[in-house]
Amino acid sequence: MALFSKKNKKEKGLYLSDKPPLTVAGIIGLVMSYTILFAWVLAIVWPLFQMVVSAFNGRQQQYIMGNENFEFSLRHFEFLYNETYYLTWVRNTLFIAISTALLTLVMVSFTGYAYSRYRFKGRKASLMAIMLIQTIPTFAGITAFFTMHSIVSSVIPAFSRQMMLILIYAGPAIASNTFILKGYIDSVSTELDDAAKIDGCSNFDIYRLIIMPIARPMLTIIALWSFIGPFMDYLLAKVLLTSPSTYTLAVGLFTLISDFRTMNQPAFAAGGLLTAIPIVIMFVVLQKQLVSGLTSGSVKG
Amino acid sequence: MKVIMKNLGKKYEGRENFTLRNINLEIDDQDFCVILGPSGCGKTTLLRMIAGLNSITEGDLYFDERRVNTIPPKDRDIAMVFQSYALYPHMTVYDNMAFSLVMRKERKKLIDERVKEAAKLLQIEEYLYAKPADISGGQRQRVALGRAIVRNPSVFLMDEPLSNLDAKLREHMRVELVRLHKSLGTTSIYVTHDQTEAMTMATKIILLDDGKIQQVGKPEEFYNKPENIFVARFIGSPTINIIKGKYKGGKFVSETDTIALTPSKEDAEYLKDFEGKEISIGIRPERFESGGEFGDTFEATIDVIEMLGKEKTLFATLKDGSDLVISTPGHYDYKEGETHTFGFDIKAIHYFDSETGERINR
Repeated sequence: MALFSKKNKKEKGLYLSDKPPLTVAGIIGLVMSYTILFAWVLAIVWPLFQMVVSAFNGRQQQYIMGNENFEFSLRHFEFLYNETYYLTWVRNTLFIAISTALLTLVMVSFTGYAYSRYRFKGRKASLMAIMLIQTIPTFAGITAFFTMHSIVSSVIPAFSRQMMLILIYAGPAIASNTFILKGYIDSVSTELDDAAKIDGCSNFDIYRLIIMPIARPMLTIIALWSFIGPFMDYLLAKVLLTSPSTYTLAVGLFTLISDFRTMNQPAFAAGGLLTAIPIVIMFVVLQKQLVSGLTSGSVKG
Repeated sequence: MKVIMKNLGKKYEGRENFTLRNINLEIDDQDFCVILGPSGCGKTTLLRMIAGLNSITEGDLYFDERRVNTIPPKDRDIAMVFQSYALYPHMTVYDNMAFSLVMRKERKKLIDERVKEAAKLLQIEEYLYAKPADISGGQRQRVALGRAIVRNPSVFLMDEPLSNLDAKLREHMRVELVRLHKSLGTTSIYVTHDQTEAMTMATKIILLDDGKIQQVGKPEEFYNKPENIFVARFIGSPTINIIKGKYKGGKFVSETDTIALTPSKEDAEYLKDFEGKEISIGIRPERFESGGEFGDTFEATIDVIEMLGKEKTLFATLKDGSDLVISTPGHYDYKEGETHTFGFDIKAIHYFDSETGERINR
């Protein structure tokens, strides 16, 4: 019925859009925009498609060949499971990713809130310092990290290379996300803090009961980013982790395409495909939290 | 509860001057006290100091006999309604209202009773379980009031609570707030920049400007006996006419001699010491006599007429080009461009010392 009435209106020649009617130049521009967008999509989707197909193609051998033969098989997944440390890598990566995310979240909560709400000596200077230090890539400090790790681990033997890696991932994440969260909390009216103070909240209560729930969409994004980071990073993990049983997924999988003795490209594709699963699960679980707009209605809108 | 301020002062960090200084005030139990002033005069600072949200730099603040300078807000037995309402956006109306009691770890049953009671009083029962985002501005206002009522405070603080409502609703809420104040029997302190709110609601007005108290008193005193030129100008709409001049030979003469005025006998007593000195007179727009058959009169040409229904506001120019606002009953017949003779209601003239701005005929 709704469709019908819409059609009816069109037939009467009513122009319902709020935009001005398209000119010839406008149409050409539109066509060009869409062409570029489609080309872009193709550039992203085609390799992904090839990866998925190769991962399930039993006909593929050590090297991925662009041929027409396809036979569905889970052979490459079995190879990953039986012939490599794949599960250990998954466990390592998840451990590092979750620890990084939690550490980042907790620290950023404190720093972001403090920078937004408190006035203290050196506030501006330290913010600037954090921002400037950000411009130096983390990798530049790799030798220092090495030394730091060997010093600390000589005192506390339980301090593993993986833990060092967690700290290295969390450090810059805390710094850059402090800015983001500070900005977000700045947009929350301080009258809410005042109201909470009168209602009997301590400073920590104000964050826990009022600010944190309001900043939840932002906190979710921060957690997600710092969770994904360790999945994506190769360089730091490669340098710092030396035995295959401590590898993360990125480092471990790379051994399947970097060395001709362990070369197995379809297994690499299969491993890559599986890697996406935890991230996808995270997105699905956190989807609700990501919906922002919670602040509307707190103050006059 | 009485609120007593002794020599209260506030200086913000990084500011050169005191925002407020030498504030001496006594607000009686069950007073509806309105702190009035233009923006930036320090009225909100004063309220926040009473609430404990801003620290007190100097002086003492007492609630009855208790000195509360360093007591945290939650232990001061106060409730505050904020300009933006400051409702917690992630909580339902019910949770918003119950929050302070939950923080005090009251029993669930008592909390429920109190919230329901307040909701009934404010007629917000229907949307107790809605989120603040889903209700209208007027309803949010009520929830904010409800949140304060639930605490059963001894002092009720309000920071421009009506400024976000539309005109009709504001008028309605004014009456409602006074009613609420009476039924609760608390001391209320209300901050506003709107003189109408102050005049209509207050039992006591405090007019602040420039960090100093300009006048304290009942609304009618403010209108009929302003302490200085600032107060006279601030209260009353349309604004009072202030005419500068000199007191010469028992007569007030304006600067360009267009207006001459013989004061009443009582006022002449006060003015004795000002012979030959600069003084100003203030006259409310409605205190001009039209027709001008008696006493001192002057001629004025009407430029613009604002028709308000029950009254007409005439914007007139004197011979020397200075402006004057005159308000007359709405049915009087005046036309723009006409020249008329007006007189003064001699009993309603306010005399001020031009130098200090202080009132002469107290």
